[in-house]
Formats: sequence, C-alpha cells, structure tokens
Amino acid sequence: MSGWLGRRKWITILLFLAPTILAILVFNVYPILLNTYISFTNRNKFRPNPDCDVVLTGLLDPICWPAFRDNAPTGLGKPYVLQDPILGNYDTLMGKLFTPEALLSLVLIGVTFAPLIGANYFSKKQERKIDKKIPTNLVWGFGILIAVALFFILNVPKSISSLMATGDFITVVFRTALFVLIRVPFTFILGLILALILNSENLPGKTFFRVALFVPWGASSVAILMSLVWQFLFRQQGTINQIFAVIGGTGPIWLNDPILAFGVVVIADIWFSYPFFMVSILGALQSIPKELYEAAEVDGAGFWTKLMKITLPLIRPAVLPAAVLTSITAFQMFGTAFAITGGGPTRGAGVPGATEFVMVYAYKQIFQQQNYGTATAFAVMIFIMLFLATLYSLRVTKMTKGAYE
Amino acid sequence: MKRKSKPIIRVLQYVILVIATLYALYPVWFAILASGRLGDRLYTLDLGGMFFPTEWTFENYRVMLFEKPFLTWLTNSLKVASITTVASLIVCTSAAFALSRFKFRGREFFLVFLLAISTFPGLLSLVAIAQLLTALGLYGKHAGLILAYTAGTIVFCTWNLKGYFDTIPIELEESAMLDGCSPVSAFFLIALPLAKPALAVTAILGFMSGWGDFVFASVLVPAPDTVKLAVPALYSLANSMSVPWGYFASGAVIVIIPTIIVYLAMNRYFEGGLTLGGVKG
Repeated sequence: MSGWLGRRKWITILLFLAPTILAILVFNVYPILLNTYISFTNRNKFRPNPDCDVVLTGLLDPICWPAFRDNAPTGLGKPYVLQDPILGNYDTLMGKLFTPEALLSLVLIGVTFAPLIGANYFSKKQERKIDKKIPTNLVWGFGILIAVALFFILNVPKSISSLMATGDFITVVFRTALFVLIRVPFTFILGLILALILNSENLPGKTFFRVALFVPWGASSVAILMSLVWQFLFRQQGTINQIFAVIGGTGPIWLNDPILAFGVVVIADIWFSYPFFMVSILGALQSIPKELYEAAEVDGAGFWTKLMKITLPLIRPAVLPAAVLTSITAFQMFGTAFAITGGGPTRGAGVPGATEFVMVYAYKQIFQQQNYGTATAFAVMIFIMLFLATLYSLRVTKMTKGAYE
Repeated sequence: MKRKSKPIIRVLQYVILVIATLYALYPVWFAILASGRLGDRLYTLDLGGMFFPTEWTFENYRVMLFEKPFLTWLTNSLKVASITTVASLIVCTSAAFALSRFKFRGREFFLVFLLAISTFPGLLSLVAIAQLLTALGLYGKHAGLILAYTAGTIVFCTWNLKGYFDTIPIELEESAMLDGCSPVSAFFLIALPLAKPALAVTAILGFMSGWGDFVFASVLVPAPDTVKLAVPALYSLANSMSVPWGYFASGAVIVIIPTIIVYLAMNRYFEGGLTLGGVKG
C-alpha cells in the first residue's frame, strides 16, 4: 500500500504483528526449544526436577526462572541431567535402524517401490511426446507388475518385520503411514463418488442427501465424543455384535483383534473426514463447463473416458492441496484412535499396540509413562518429518502468494 | 441438450446415497437413541430398539442436568471457547491486515515461518506449555487454557483471513485514501465489512477448537469438577465403569447436536470463507 513510507510504515507493521509474534514465541517457539533440549536429557518420572545450576536447564526450564520460583511445585525425585551419550534417547528409539540387516531391509523396500517411481517418470515423459506414444496405462501396468513381482521375490514382508524389530519409532511411524495410505485414498474415493452423484442434474432429494452427508463434518469438531459412540458400537456387547446376534451369529471381539481394531479406526476416521473431500470436489465439479462433456459425448466418449479425461484432470488443482493437507492431518490423528482403542490391542507390555499411531504413542509416553526424555526425542523426529511434508505441500499448493503477485 | 440418465443408473445412485446416508447418520442417531434409554438396557437391544426409540425416557437427561455438574461443565466450555474466539479474531485480524496490505521485506518468510512452526503438533508442546503455565500460576485455571487455545488458533486464522483479504480489491481502499483516510482506517471501514464470510468461518472454527478439544483441556485443567470442560468431563464419564453409558450419551447429545446444527447453518460459508485448502481432514 502506498500510504506510508519508511519508519512509520515499519512501526505500524510491527504494532499489528506484535500480538501474533508474542504468542508464537511463547506458545510455539519456546515449547520447541524446551522439547529439543529435554530430548537430550534423561528426564522421566523418577527425575522430574530441573537442576537449575546447569546453564541450559536454568535458562530453559521455567521453574528455574527467578520470577516464577515461588510457584514451582516442590516434588520429590532427583534432578534430570544430560543423557550420556547425548543421543541416548534417539538411540533407544531408532538406534538399531543403523545395523546392516535393518539397512538392507530398507534398501529392499526401496527397490520394490522403484518401478512405480520409474513408471511415473516415464509416463510423464511420454505425455510430452506428440507421436509414437506408449499408452500411460501400459507403462503403469508394467511398473505395478514389476513392483508386485519384486514384493514377492525380495520377500518384503520379512524386511518389514525385521524393520519393525528395530524399535518403537519405525513401528509407530510405519503403522501411521499405513493408516494414512489406506485412509486418504478411501476418503477420496468415497468423497468423489458422492460428489459425482450429488452433482448430477435433476436428482430428486438432492438437498436432503447433501445435508445428511454433511453431518459428520459438524460432528468432527467434537471428534472425541463421536469416537466414543463409535467405540460403543464396536464393543464386545455393542450394537454391531447385537445385530450379529439377531441374525444368528456371533460377532468377533472387534477391538481385541489387531486387524479388526485397525479397520474400525479407519472406518470411524473416514466417517469424520469424507465430507470435507465431498464438499471440495463438489465445488470443483461445479466449475467444469458443461460444454466439455457435451463435446465429448458427440465424439462418443463413455462415462469412464469422461471421468478420466475431463473430470479428474480438471478437479486436480482443487483436490491436490486438499489431499496433501489431509494426509498431514491424518498422520497426526489422535482423538479417533485414542477414544476407540486407546492405542490397543497390544501384544505385550512395552510394545506399541496395533492402533498406536504417532500422536497416541506420544500421548501415552508423555502422560501415562512420563518418559519425557524418549517422548521428546520422538517429538523432534516427528517434527522434522511434518516440517518437510509441509514444505512440500507449500510447493504443491503455492499458498504464500500475496495480493501483489 | 439435456442428458438423461438411464433408470438403472438412477437406481444405483440412490442405493449408494442411501447406504452412505445410513453410514453418515446412524452413529449420531444411535447416540440420540442411547440417550433415551436406561444404561443397562443398552446391551439387550432388539432390532427395533437399534433403529427406533422404543423405550424412550428422559431419566438420563434429568440426572445429567440436575444431579451431575454437567451445566457447570457446559458453561465452562462456552466461556472458554467464546473468549478464545474473540481474542483470536482480534489478534489475527490485525496480523492478517498487516500481512495482506503492506508489502515489506520478510513478509513471505514470516508467513512460511508461521506455517512451519505450526507443524510442531500441539500435543507435543503441551509438556512445555503446562510447565510454563505452572510457573506463571495459571495451571488449572481457565485463563491459562484460553491463552493456549488462542495461541493454537493463530496460524490457521491468520492465514485464512490473510488469504481472504487478498481477494478484496485494494483499489477500494486506495480510493478511500484519496479522500483522506489513513491506510488503517480505510482497511477497517472498507475491507473488513467485506470480509464477513471469512470472519464468520474463522470465528466458528476458532470457537470449535476450544469447544471440542480434549487433550489441552484434560491436561491443563484436570480437576476439580467445578472447572472442568464438557468434553473431557464426558470422556471420563464414558470410561468410568460405575456410570451408565446412557448418562454419557445424553450429555454427548447435548454437546454434539448444536455443534452439527451450527455447521449445517454455516454450510454455505464454508465454501466461500475458507481460503486455505484444508482445515479439517
């Protein structure tokens, strides 16, 4: 804006940004610093107190700050000190990852995915060619075929289980990644199908269905309460099993079986998240000009061709950012799993349960086990992953442009 | 040219819609059914009882409203969420104004920095926040919770408002400035009223982040009953063996149904007022 220049402009800007900067410094930057510091110490429930004579502890732990010492709780227990070796907590979480066997497993899994990346690259290159194209479907089919073959030849399940044995970090992150890989595509497909149906012309009762299908979005803001309802439905004597009993069968004990419990969490979490996709796809669909479809029909295109050649490419710009951001939120999902399974079922003490996704794991480590040292090291690793994912999503969605660009 | 669907496709569409609607509505409908049943009758449902209110009673509601401190919890939640909303709107509008209307060095960096820093999950910073609030003497008090919530909404709310302000043509304000307005008053008199949809959506989402939160509330104000918030209080009711599940259901219905109604009413705004691709996922 051309109104003010120089110092006056800067003072105005700073004044308007001051509350935000202050809040970010106190509630975001400071917790990250303290967290990172604690991740190098052995703080746990037996060593909860700071040793204020250590320079960094005295600087970072609020209990050591002169103004606040009066409010400090006088707890029992020894003070925490730096871990020896300093990366001890990280070592506990993922140290075994750097053994030859684990690294080999990692490489094998990478090799299995390589044909898919190759297919992606090759088909993009093919699309730029004008003549003598190799059909994209063929390239992808070939890539998938090789990947599946490699999956069995290299015995990937064995590699995965040997990776899972390297410690909590890989186990938890792998399970969470699996959850995201299942949950996001299903959410997208359900949202797409419903949006396509709701977008068709003269469909009697459209408004009713639109409103009804939107309901879970509203409920998702009190996710923990609705998740408890889902948990009741899938209890051993819950409603689903009562339906089984009425039909004349016995339902499984859903939440005690690792795979079924995982499935229940996925179903409940899709319930919370598909309306968002449905609404964004519906918005994108409505902006596609009808003439495109009419022209395609004149050329004899069927439903499938229209979907693949017109609909999906044209909704891509709107849906891609939504998909990336949804994946990041799905990775951090907490309430659904915590309320339905509490992270369980577990196979033994000290082993993460089948639905113990990253946030559930962190919550249990911090608030139930009080293993602050390991939990904060875990937090730092997760932060790095989320940070990179967000940078990538910014590149995909190009969201930082202002009014002037 | 009108395209006509074949009857078989129409039927298929309705089958999918009906199944999806059952999936969408049944959990909520079940919560309503359970809220009208006595706790021990929930484990012996017949087919009718699973879908229709066959043994409806207001007993659960009566217990929750008059014998449990549920109304106190609700008032606490309302209070905390409302103050959070107002505080975060004030803070974010001013930041979004500066970021949208002034071109300055470091602006883009600041925006990306906000986003990057917010990737540190709130749950993980909770230890530090709890410790900080303890040191400040705000642990276990609503004021501390409000501070934490407000800080938690800032990044989304600033980004969303800034994105919407960017879509309002700056020429409107420039013409007001030719008439002698300062940039600040031009913005607040002209651009802000035009940003109502975004302000409404941001306010609702800010409110909901306090209203529906579980983790922060359960850690930062754990006890006693008089200061608890509705959601964590209901959570512990649902998981306590000695309390019938119907009590929880009736409390949950009182919290969930208005929430859903607000969202349905705001349905239209969500399409226009959200500029940041994804909020909920």
